[in-house]
Amino acid sequence: MRASVGDRIVIKGHRVGEHERDCVVVGVEHADGEPPYLVRWEDSDHETLFFPGPDARVEHVEKKGEAPGRAGKK
Amino acid sequence: MRVVEGVRRSGVGISAGRTVQEAAAIMESSGVGALAILDGERLVGIVTDRDLVRRAMARSLPQDSRVDEVMTAPVVTIPADADIHEAFAIFRTHGIRRLAVVRGSQFVGILTVDDLLVDLAGDLADLARPVTSEVLFPQRDVPLPTDA
Repeated sequence: MRASVGDRIVIKGHRVGEHERDCVVVGVEHADGEPPYLVRWEDSDHETLFFPGPDARVEHVEKKGEAPGRAGKK
Repeated sequence: MRVVEGVRRSGVGISAGRTVQEAAAIMESSGVGALAILDGERLVGIVTDRDLVRRAMARSLPQDSRVDEVMTAPVVTIPADADIHEAFAIFRTHGIRRLAVVRGSQFVGILTVDDLLVDLAGDLADLARPVTSEVLFPQRDVPLPTDA
């Protein structure tokens, strides 16, 4: 998984009825974009380090000047 | 199967200086029941929702107490590339339900007993399927042709 600052990470619910969780990448620890990521949780504004597992997906934010179609779910 | 392949949930880490109230709020936001306590990316402790109840709330600790006052340290760890059966052995001998997965001293994620049980249940169901169908729908051997 690779992410950049501004990307959104969505974590799926693990039980029936459990909602998805959202956080936004506010810092990338490694230059190659590999985890962990410094993230801000949408509903509490707390920042944590995030180590993505198989339950997480990155939604890339389209950067200015980036060709349409390059951004999207991974 | 390697240990890292058994980790089913993302890991969340905070520094030791955060408060117990923040730890609880972060668990709620992120949906995890245990947080890695980190110095940079180095694992120094684990705090669980149960730790917050037993070591903070039950003892009337102020909500702005540091999380390292209630964390478990040192942490039982397992290398990310270890065989999954090593994790079974650690769960059996240490009586814990969560195991920190590391690469060197760097935190990678948390393996839980629940994760392993879900995997095992799936494997058992796969193994049981042909046996179950044989019991429920027995196949009759076709009789060999006989010379008239």
